[in-house]
Parts: sequence; C-alpha cells; structure tokens
Amino acid sequence: MVGSHSMVDTPIIDCDVHQPHPSREELVAYLEEPYRSEVAKWGPRRSVSSGIRGEDGGNRRDLEAARLSDPAYFREALLDRYGHRFALLSGAFAPIAGMPDPDYVNAICRAANDFYREKWLPADERFRLAIKVPLQDPAAAAREVERLAGAPQIAAVSFFATANRIPFGDRYYWPIYEACQRHDLPIHFHPSTGQTIANAAMTAAGHATTYLECHVCLPQFYMAQTASLILNGVFEKFPGLRVMLVEGGIAWLPHLLWRMDAEYKGLRQQAPFLKRLPSEYVRDHVRLTTQPLEEPRQTEHLIQIFNMVDADHTVMYASDFPHWDFDEPTRLPRSLGETTIRRILHDTACEWFRLPQLATA
Amino acid sequence: MAWQSKFLSTEVPEGARRFFAHGKREIGVIRHRGRLYAVLNFCPHAGAPVCQGEVDHPVFVETPGGAGCVTPEQPTLRCPWHHWEFDLASGDSLCSGGPRLKTYAVREEAGQIWVDC
Repeated sequence: MVGSHSMVDTPIIDCDVHQPHPSREELVAYLEEPYRSEVAKWGPRRSVSSGIRGEDGGNRRDLEAARLSDPAYFREALLDRYGHRFALLSGAFAPIAGMPDPDYVNAICRAANDFYREKWLPADERFRLAIKVPLQDPAAAAREVERLAGAPQIAAVSFFATANRIPFGDRYYWPIYEACQRHDLPIHFHPSTGQTIANAAMTAAGHATTYLECHVCLPQFYMAQTASLILNGVFEKFPGLRVMLVEGGIAWLPHLLWRMDAEYKGLRQQAPFLKRLPSEYVRDHVRLTTQPLEEPRQTEHLIQIFNMVDADHTVMYASDFPHWDFDEPTRLPRSLGETTIRRILHDTACEWFRLPQLATA
Repeated sequence: MAWQSKFLSTEVPEGARRFFAHGKREIGVIRHRGRLYAVLNFCPHAGAPVCQGEVDHPVFVETPGGAGCVTPEQPTLRCPWHHWEFDLASGDSLCSGGPRLKTYAVREEAGQIWVDC
C-alpha cells in the first residue's frame, strides 16, 4: 500500500508513534523483584509533578480511546490507513526521565522493553521499537542496549531529551554512545518535560506556567543538546553515532548552525578536537523529524527553511500518532516538490534505518 | 605585482610588526621566530586590522578526552575582532571553508626587506 500524499506515491516511514505504556498488571508480569512486589502492591512510582496539565489526555479525540492499547488498532488507524512501511514505536514513558532511583528505572525499562517485544512487535512486522534505557545509570543503559541489539524489530534507543540533568555532550553518556555505535542503533531523542520535573528548568527561562508555554519552547532543548553534542566532540569520539531529534520542529536549526559556525571560527581553541565546522557534523550524524511542523503565514518561508537545513538529507517524517498534535503525511507543503517529499516521507529514513531500498517501477 | 623594498631589516626585529600603504589598505610585515611574513591588514571576515592580532602556536588536544597535545610548527594569526584564525604563512583559514587571508611573498637580502605586492 502506498502513502496518501496526493503528490507522491510512496510508502511511509514514521519516526514517532506512541504506543501506550504497559498497564500496572502488564508491568508486574515483566518486572523483576523487588520491584514486581512493590508495583503489584503500590502501583508504579509517580514522578514529581510539574503542576502542568497535559493537553486533554494527550491523544486525538477522534480516536477510539478504549482501543489505544491494542496493536491491531494502530495497524488499522495508522499503518494501513496511510500506507506505512515502518512505524517506530517510541512509547509513552516520559515520567521515568524524572525518577531519581536508577535501579527502579532500569527495572521498569527492561520490563517495558520485554512487554513491547512480546505484545506489540509480533502484531505487525512493520512495527519497530525504540528501546527504553535508564539515563540515570549509563552502564546499565549500555547493558540494556547490548541485551536487545540485534533482536528482531529493534531499531533505535530512546533518550528523553528534555528532562535529563546532564547535557548530552557530557562524557557521562559515553558508555551508552559506545554501545549504540557498536550496534549501529540510532538514538531517538524525544521530549519528556511536560508533567515531570527532573531538572531545574522546563524552558531556558525557567519553569513554564502552562503546557502551551512548555511545548512551544521544546526547540530550546534541542538547540542546547545539539550544541552540547557537537561542541563537546561526541561525533569525533563516536564517528558512527547517529541521533534523531524528534518533536522539536526544524526551524531552529539554521540559527543554531550559523551561530555555531561563526563563533567556532573565533573560539575554535575551546573545541580543538573538532575536525570540521560544527554544521558539517549534522548531515552525517543528525536527523530532524517533521512533527510538529512550523506554520509560518507564508508557506514559502517554510520552504526556505527546508532548503536551509538540507531537508533532502536531514529531515524525516513523524506523525506523533495518536497524540493530539498528530501530523498526517499531507502536512508537508506540496511546493516542496515530489523529490523532497519522497525523501522526507520515506527515502531518508530508509537509509537511516538501513532498510532495503524499494524496487523502482 | 612586483618586488619592492619596504624596510630595512633592522626596522623589523623579532616580534615586530611594521606597515606600509598598499592602495586603499596597508600591508603588515611581521617577524616571528626569525621568519618574515607579509599580510594584508584587512580581515576577510569583517574588515578588522588583522595584523594587530595575536601570533600564536595554539595547543590542540586531538580527540575528546584525549591526553595527547599537539603544537603545530606553523604560526597562526588570530584576528583581534571575533578571533578568527589564519595560517600566517598561507593565509588559509584554520576552519574549513573559511575565507582566506591575503598574504604576500617576502624576502630579505643585504639588510633590506622586499615584498612582492
């Protein structure tokens, strides 16, 4: 089946699909002790609330809420409807980003990964999983990558990008990066701040008042994390490492790259291990996903931004299904042209995930 | 371009910089570690008097977290504004794709400094 974009006859590779987190009973079935007994008795631990209410339950209201824990419903409402070749399941586990106990988070990640592998992945060969790892314990996270790398339908490693305490360029994370590089698994950075407090600030300015304010400011985290990764030499240390920046849009990137390149030329001695301009690492190591796509008043301005970020090579489609701010494949402006739309909907992600190229007609 | 005698050798001792007019701009002659360099005193980035910047041999660590340090033999000229760096001899930007600094051939004979400009 092919995609529904009226201009382009291509299957879809969707880089951000949110299957729900396991229920209490499902989690208990996969948890190891002592956490199995704890969760069975008390339920999963709660993270510290930010005091911000998520948007209206988080999901599209036109969907059948009672069926959202059923992989068959995802197949029907997303994969078959839009012609997906591949849907990366990134889950809904953001609260673990804000939990302080690394052992508990490690146990939850392992249980969730095993649950998804048994309950979701066999339901459709088009499902792929971004595995959860405990960022609170990089050594344990690396062990989880080692445990699951190479298993069927494992396609990425999930990082919560907005509630970590330490920027991602820090060598604290090197054990995870080394494992991801060794197994050629891209890292799927995804927002996590909203309802969870894990660090001092939900925005660069401080604590947001509303979900609206927090969500609008998500690109701030990606700007900071991208600068941290590049300027601390992560891609020199790990030349095979690849990262996806999900749900932050694309328009922030040109500003950051211009600023990094200009200031690097004068302050190069503070990042002496870089062998290229900061912007030159993006094409080899970084991909952005489309949703939520920026919406300028004039579409031509968005087209210029696609050109600025070399969208034919750096941008991939994500729907964010079933969340409230879901983007259909047709959200891409037609004026991008057939070649660019095809690359965003399929070809770039096909290369990124090492899938076989489709035979051309 | 033609070779022109611009200074006496004694006028440009070690570490000194001397300037002469060249069209609407000027050229700086720099003696560093015994060798002479001639550079257009105009940064291709933002027009700064680049010859007033620091001549240095910056120390590098080649890999993140690496222990080894490298000090290049070639001196760099670091512009006083924005701190862009150039290879003092070739004028090449030390960052890939950066604009090149205009440099000139220079030689010293019989107590005179000659610049091909």
